[in-house]
This record gives sequence, structure tokens and C-alpha cells, in this order.
Amino acid sequence: MNEEEKSKSPGRAIDRRDFLQGLAGVPVIGAFALAALKQESFRRASRARQAAATAGGEAPAELRIALLGVGAQGSVLLNSMLKIPGLRFQAVCDIWTEYNLKRAGNLLKKYGHEAALYHDYREMLDKEKGLDAVVIATPDFWHADHTIACLQAGLHVYCEKEMSNTLEGARRMVQAARESGKLLQIGHQRRSNPRYIFCRDTLLQELQLIGRPVTAFGQWNRSAAPDLGWPKKYEIPADQLRRYGYDSMAQFCNWRWYKKLGGGPIVDLGSHQIDIFSWFLGANPKSVQASGGTDYYDKSTHEWYDTVLATYEYETPAGLVRAHYKTQTTNGSLGYFEQFMGDQGTLVISESAGMGLVYREKANAPSWDEWVRKGYLTEPKLIEVKAESESDSLDVRETISPDEHRIALQFNDPYHKPHLENFFSAVRGKGKLNCPAEVGYESAVAVLKVNEAVEARKTLDFSPEEFKI
Amino acid sequence: MNETRLSTFQWTTLVTLRMLVGWHFLYEGVAKLLKGNWSAYGFLMESKWIFAEYFHALAGNATVLSVVNTMNIWGLILIGLGLIMGLFTRIAAGGGILLILLYYVCNPPFVGLFYSIPMEGHYLFVNKNLVELGALLVLIAIPSQQVAGLDRILYKLIKK
Repeated sequence: MNEEEKSKSPGRAIDRRDFLQGLAGVPVIGAFALAALKQESFRRASRARQAAATAGGEAPAELRIALLGVGAQGSVLLNSMLKIPGLRFQAVCDIWTEYNLKRAGNLLKKYGHEAALYHDYREMLDKEKGLDAVVIATPDFWHADHTIACLQAGLHVYCEKEMSNTLEGARRMVQAARESGKLLQIGHQRRSNPRYIFCRDTLLQELQLIGRPVTAFGQWNRSAAPDLGWPKKYEIPADQLRRYGYDSMAQFCNWRWYKKLGGGPIVDLGSHQIDIFSWFLGANPKSVQASGGTDYYDKSTHEWYDTVLATYEYETPAGLVRAHYKTQTTNGSLGYFEQFMGDQGTLVISESAGMGLVYREKANAPSWDEWVRKGYLTEPKLIEVKAESESDSLDVRETISPDEHRIALQFNDPYHKPHLENFFSAVRGKGKLNCPAEVGYESAVAVLKVNEAVEARKTLDFSPEEFKI
Repeated sequence: MNETRLSTFQWTTLVTLRMLVGWHFLYEGVAKLLKGNWSAYGFLMESKWIFAEYFHALAGNATVLSVVNTMNIWGLILIGLGLIMGLFTRIAAGGGILLILLYYVCNPPFVGLFYSIPMEGHYLFVNKNLVELGALLVLIAIPSQQVAGLDRILYKLIKK
């Protein structure tokens, strides 16, 4: 009797065979449950890793802080610091008393901080007692004097980048930090960004994800914009401006374009990303060539170059890497990011919009499935060729190399918050600075030479000694 | 069924086919359930062809959409369990056909329709949905659950 007849014999008692074959699905359900649970635990592990990266800590003892310079960048830092527990804002100093200083004072009042307001930093350092640290966000040409005065007053300093508009100023800052024994953190905030740390420490160094690095690229594009203006009723008196180094209110508001005050876009923007070149590649550059100029704006009010293209050579432990950097302030398309290419993959990362992508070179790279399972990367997305027109779009949904993965780690805090937290932790004696004076100096050496190379119109070499103090 | 007799091998392949389809249904449902925030929204909004308006309307109403999502998830899970265990197999297979038919007419791979949701292959009229629908038709036509599945026991109990 075959199966079908057996099963079709009604009225028969349920025998052992019915029972066994009736439950044929049970082992399959068992296997399914095991597989699904395993899969789910991988997913949870990956999520937990992401959540851990954004978790906060407990409230520490209060630090007393003064702010020196609360313009645009100072406000960005202040807004980040207001999200950090354990800070007491005791004093604020800015020469634009009717505008910047009032605005910062009012904001602090709203958050319950009664800060004393100053227009002269020497007066502030003289009168304010019990301060722990100063956060400096003044124009670049003031950084050296402000930082050194604060260090000498026995305070720890967080100073915005660029460390100084001159190497001589930057050098004096390093020396003052060493002599005072106080901490000096330079504001290259990507060095504390968990996404950047993850890319460098885990993806590039531990996993060697991109293989042998060969080239790097970075850019920061900004739309053309008129000069910054100011409300006429809040104008700073001319003698006050001159006392602090400015010829006019226009120059005060647009200091970044003037040679004696700032370093231009390559320093304001490029410095962040050229710092990432050195940090990720584990080397200082050995040469730079550059082309740049004020091509678009009025040269009399835009002394520094509105467009700069620079190419560095890095002698890295893995071999020579060529790195190209571009900044233009006349078109904002494609924004800003840094890109590292090796023989096994490409890393594209930006501070903005949480962008973090890696592309696997299918021809040369080992499987990355393990890194997906461990929650380092998202599942690969097949890159599709988009149809040029409707008529040819039927056949173009081909998969071509490479696979695109996103970096699974997310970071949703204000960009500067982790770097400031790193500074305050170090002030409390917990942990080391992520960008101490010496590192900020190395970065300044690499960046400031671009402007020299533009002027020299030839390749300039760095000697290893240039980066040391 | 009486004219033709199937060998043990033939029954085994049929039961295997049922398990495979069942596994796929079950995990499609379980994965959506575990994801927590899964929604059919994107799929429905991609809809082309003559029923597009109807599917877009389903996606456009939050209450209706959440009912659609829940029904889809639990439908997939119950159909998957039914097919694997061979329990109420015909109802499960029929339900599966209905669901797949909805997926198919929502986004059919017809000449001249192009979708922006990623697909892993190339389809014209016949896609994997339609193949699975065909498999379910076979499973309705030939009752493998009477050989291996809880329906075999159920059948005996009822006949008693």
C-alpha cells in the first residue's frame, strides 16, 4: 500500500506512522526558530553598539568656565557646552559689547548662569577668581596672545583652530602650554567625533578595511555669499576697533579674508580636513603644491584666496599616498567630505549629515560579511546604474562593483560637543586630550604652507623637523 | 487522485516544496515583526498599473495603513506556519495566493513599468512572486499534507 492509500483509510486509529509524519513540520520549525534567533541576535548586537556610542554619562563636579570671543563660532561652542553637564559659566568676554556680548549674556541667563561680562580679556583674567578653564573663539590672529595670557593665569585652554595665523604664534602657544603645565586643546573637533574615531581606529587601523591606502581627497564647497554686514546701531567705535587690531567694522566682521587677521578658506575650512589626512594616514606631509587665488570676489576686501587646490604627498607606514584638497567659496554643490582610497576599498566620511560610506573593491578585498554581522557596517547596497532615459532603463539595473556600505555607527550630538567633553574630562584628570597643542601645531604647519605654495607657484617640501618644537 | 499514484520520492519533493515556501512566508513575516517599525508604505506608494490609485489610498491613510501592516505581517506568519506544519494547509495556501496576487498587481513587472525600489534580478511578466504563486497552486492541487502534516492527523480524527 502506498502513502496515499494509507493516509486515505478513514476510520483507522491514529498509528505511530500518522503521528511521525503528521509532525514532519516540527523539526523545520525548530531549525527556523534557531536561525531566526541567531539572525536577530546579530541585529540586536549591532543596534546595541550604535546605542552605546551615543549614551551619556553621570553628572561630574562643576567646572568654572570663561568664554573669550562669542561671535559666530563662539556661539556654536556655547550651544554645545550648554548640553554638557557640570559646567558653570562665570564670565564672558567680547569686544562687540552691544551685540555678541549681550547676546551671549542673555542666552546664559536663560540657562541660569549669571556670567560677568567683559570687553577686555586682561581685565577678565585679573578680576575673575576661581576659574578652571577658558574657551577661546576669537579671530585667529588673537589666538596666541589670548591663549598665552590664559595659560599664564593658570587656566586650562580650549582654543579654536586655526591655532594661529602664524607659525611663530603657534609655537609660542605650545611653549606656554608646556611652561604652565596647563592643558591646551586645539579645536579640530573631528578628532573627538565618535564616527571619525571609529573610522580611523577600527576600520582603517584594526580591520585595514581599505587595504593599502593610495590616494586621499577632501573638499569643502561653499556657495558664493556677500560679505557679512552688521546692524548700524551696534557699530563698534573706531578707536575701540583700532585698539584690537581692526581697520573698520567691515574688516572686523569679515576678518577671515584679511592676511593679517586670518588665513582664508584653506585655513578656515581646509584645516579641518587636511588635519584628517594626517590623522588617518598616520603621517605628516612631505611636500605640497598648490594653486589658488581670489578669482571671484573683490581683491581689496578678499586678500585671501577664494579658491584653492592643493596636493600633498604623504610618506605613510604603508607607502606613498597622494592627497588632493579643494576648497571653493563660489559654489556649494557636493558640500564637504573626506575620501580615502586603498587597493581594497574606499572610505568617504563627512562631519555633515552623518555621511559615512565604504565601498568594497570586489576584485581585491576579502569578504566584509563579518563586519556587517558585528555591526560595524550596514548591509551592502548594490550600486545601480541609473537609467539615462526611460527608453534604455529596462536593461540597466545591472549590479556593478563595488558594494556600498554605510558605517553603522551613528552620532547625533552637536559636532563640537565630544571635543569639548574630551577637554573638560582631561581638565578633571580623566583621559588625555585628543588634540593637544603639539598636534594642533603639526596641523598648522601642514595647512599654512598651502598659502605659501600658492604664492611660490612651486612644490614646497616639509622637513620632519618643521613639525617639531 | 485515484488514477495516479505518487511514489514516496514524489511525495517527499512536494512536502519539501511546501516547507520551502512556508519558510519563506514565515521569515518574511517574522523579519517584519522583529523590525518593529516596518511598513508597507514604500511598497504601496511604488504601485503602478490600474490599481495604483487604490494602493496609494491604502498607504495614504494612517489608520488603514497600520491595519494593512498588521494583517500582512500576521498573514505571512500564519500562512508560513500552516504550510510548514501542514495544518489547514489548503486555507494557508489559498491565503498565500491571495497575498501574492495583491503584491503582484500592486507592482507588476509589465512592459513599460519601471520601479525605483531595488530588485535583485530582472523580470518581465513573471517574477518570483508569480513563481511562488504557482507553487502554491500545486500544493492546493496535490494534498501533500495528507502524507506529512498535522492535517493527516486532523483528517483521521474527523473521519472517526
